[in-house]
Formats: sequence, structure tokens, C-alpha cells
Amino acid sequence: MNFNIVGVWTLTKRELIRSVKIINQVIWPPIITTLLYVFVFGMAIGSRIPLVQGVTYAQFLIPGLIMLQTIDSSYGECSSSVFQGRFMNHIQELLIAPMSATEIVFGFILGSLARALIIAGLITALGALLVHTLPRDWAMYFFVLILVSVLFSGLGIILGLLAEKFDHLAVLTTFVIMPLTFVGGVFTAATMLPPALRTLSLVNPIFYTIDAFRRSYTGQSFLPPLYSMGAIGLLCIVVLAVALRMTALGIKLRT
Amino acid sequence: MTVAPAIEIEHLTKRYGDVVAVDDVSLRVAAGEFFGFLGRNGAGKTTTINAIVGLARKSSGSIRVFGYDTDREWRHARGFIGLAPQEFNFDRYLSIRDVLIFQAGYYGLRGKAVAERADALLERFGLTSRARVEYTKISGGQKRRLTLARALIHEPRMLILDEPTAGVDVEQRLELWEFLRCLNAEGLTVFLTTHYLEEAEQLCRRIAIIRDGKIITEQPTRHLVREGERLQDVFLELIRQAPS
Repeated sequence: MNFNIVGVWTLTKRELIRSVKIINQVIWPPIITTLLYVFVFGMAIGSRIPLVQGVTYAQFLIPGLIMLQTIDSSYGECSSSVFQGRFMNHIQELLIAPMSATEIVFGFILGSLARALIIAGLITALGALLVHTLPRDWAMYFFVLILVSVLFSGLGIILGLLAEKFDHLAVLTTFVIMPLTFVGGVFTAATMLPPALRTLSLVNPIFYTIDAFRRSYTGQSFLPPLYSMGAIGLLCIVVLAVALRMTALGIKLRT
Repeated sequence: MTVAPAIEIEHLTKRYGDVVAVDDVSLRVAAGEFFGFLGRNGAGKTTTINAIVGLARKSSGSIRVFGYDTDREWRHARGFIGLAPQEFNFDRYLSIRDVLIFQAGYYGLRGKAVAERADALLERFGLTSRARVEYTKISGGQKRRLTLARALIHEPRMLILDEPTAGVDVEQRLELWEFLRCLNAEGLTVFLTTHYLEEAEQLCRRIAIIRDGKIITEQPTRHLVREGERLQDVFLELIRQAPS
């Protein structure tokens, strides 16, 4: 057994079961929140805003909201699952089994990715029904979605390993991810920003994810897509490498 | 053909900062043996077990399980071990039956054979009627039995039991002893730590006692406990002999 594929699949399935068991906590809230954003910002306020990137403001909003929820869901799934496993000690079931660090990290990430795809799929359907928008480039849609989900799932694993209490998991969400996501282009195109803020956006990694993903819908982006995807890919590699290394060393897992 | 020992520990040391939890321990448990590993709280029993199963990183020394090095050939070594830990650490999102099936999955096993084995273990441990509920809804004794069932789901060659009868009533304890005797008779190696010295005296063919991280004696039970003596008295005498 060189790669414990059954073990990876079992962990992925376990993560999906967990998501289903806490569906009111992890699946419906992002959908309800998205509906509210679409109605309040997209339809009510957005109707007074001229076309953005060639589409209505409500249509412009949808890809940004998908990214917002993908980032939140991916980070939340892995960070809370890993931390809870440590806290309740059931992560030991994995640690004593013949599963490598790579297999454990893959299992968590695939489970998180599945949840992100379900949420993204539901929001995409809402976008089609409510504001009549669908991606023009499905390959890019899935490529960026998967890349971003993997990136934030990896980050979730790192924080899930480092955290000493649940409160620590919220620190990154509240003080880093959410602010960066909101100023990263969920609600605004880079061209709507003053020049100074536009330049500042270039040091915000979340700006790259939203800019590249929105291109799959509007066909337009502020940065060349290869450039943004390269940046996200690079971050992804770094985060995965750190998560794998920490798991392999057993940081906060093995005494 | 020589059968490799179930456990072969050489010069195991485990330090937590300045504290030496396990100090140069060497130990050999033969395949098929029923081995007792005794000591006071904090003596180093659980740390030794954790080092064997990979939950603790060794400071130095080596451990082989059925001839496989737990560092270099960890996949093989771990596959041979079934661990029933002292604390209940079940996955709260799974039903009791799924606890077993998912544990088998982590060991790379799936399919009808696993489902049948899970059902057989639930039956053997009197948990069939509780198969669909979550572990939080079963009693302490049932949780203890589930711990054992989970440790056996992947058909290990060795069972490591860390306080398997803690919190279990007398009747269930006797049932469990009988069950462990049967498993051992079927060829399963059993490595047992317990504070119930009567349990060790009844079940174990050989006993090692650890004190302050060092093995202070290791011998067959019948040599350790002579005619007319009780293990409890021998244990207390040995534990009190050397300064803490």
C-alpha cells in the first residue's frame, strides 16, 4: 500500500457527513447571506449603479459572492474540523492508522473542496435564477474555484493545528480574511477604486482570487488571468507545503 | 521459522522538555503473549504506548512491531496494532456502526467484508441494538466495549489496551476478561496496562513494572507473584523500594 486511497476517501466522506450533520451551520447561512447581498446590494442599490465590466451590478456581484463564501467555507471547514479533532481527540483515529501526512491533508482538503463546490453550485444557481448570469468560461470557473478552495483549506489546516482554543480560529477570519475579502473586490471593480487603493489592492492576495474568478463570468479582469492564477497557485503551493510539513512533524498532533 | 517479537523496544527515551517520561526502556513482548505493563499514574505507561503507536515522538531509541520499525516501516507496523485508549475519543458525527467502518477505512479497508466484520463485532460486544446511534447516547460500559470493537475492526495481530476496564462494572469486567482470554487463545498478542492488579494477575503471563520512566522488573507472573502472595502486595513493595 503506497498510497492509502481508501483512507483518503474515508476521511473525505467523513468531512462530508460532518457538513451534512451541521447543515444549518455551514450550508444554509452562506446561501441566506448571499440572497440578502443580492437583494439589498445587487437589486436595491445596484439598480442605481451603471454597468460594471459590461454587466449589471447584481450580475457583477455574483462571482464576488461565490468567492467570498468559498473562502469562508474552505477555511472554516478545515480549521474547525482539525481543531475539533484535536480538542475531542478523535484525530488520533487518523494518527494511529497507516495514513501519511499527505493522505491526511488530502482527505481534509477534498472534504472541504466538496463542501465549497456545493455552496458555489447553489450560489451559481441562485445567480442564474435571480439575476440571469452564468459563467462564460466554465473551465476557468472550476480552475479558480478549486485553487482558491485548496488555498484556504490549507490555511484552515495550519490554523486548526496552531489554535489553542476556538477563539483563535476566529482571529484570522475576523481580522484578516473578512476585511481583505471585502476590500478585495467582492463589491467593487478595481477601476471603481481611487488610484492609491487600486495600488494597495495588488498586495491583497484575495484581490487576485476575485479578479481571476470574475473573469470566468464577465470575460474581463483588471489583471491578466495568467498573472492572477500564477499568484494564487504560488500561494497555494506555499500554504500546502506548510500544512504538509506541520502535519508530518505532528505539530500539536503528536507529543 | 522464527516469529518476530510483537514488540521490541530498545533504549526508548522520551523527554518533555526537562522531564524524562520514559528513561532508556528496553522491552520485548513475544508474539501471542498476554503481557501486563504496570505502574503508578505518571510512571510512563501511556507514553510508552503512545511511542509504540506513533502518537508520541521518541527522543531516542527504536521500536519494532512484528519486526517492522515504527519509524521506517510505519505503515506495516501500524497495520498490526489495534489500540484501545484510556479515554473515549470517538468521532461524534458518526453512528456507532460507522465508527467501526470508518476506522477500517483509515486502515485502507472497505466493502462488504468490513461491514460484516463491523456487524459481527457489534454483536459480539452486545452493541447491535445501538448500532445507529451516536456514541454520546450510550453508557460508559458500552463505550468501553466500543473502544475494543474499534481496535479490532482491522483484524490486528496485537491489541494494546490502556485501562480497558476503567469504569466498567464487575459483571462486564469479568465478561471482558473472558473475551480477552479468547482473543489471546486465538493468537492475538495482548499488551495491557491497568490499575486493577487483580486483572493483570488473572490475565497476564508476563508482567513488567515501570516506575519513574524506568522498568524495575520484568518477569513471568508466576515468578513475580509466588504462592500465597498477591500481585498488589508485590507491586506496592517494588514501587516503594526505590526512592521516587
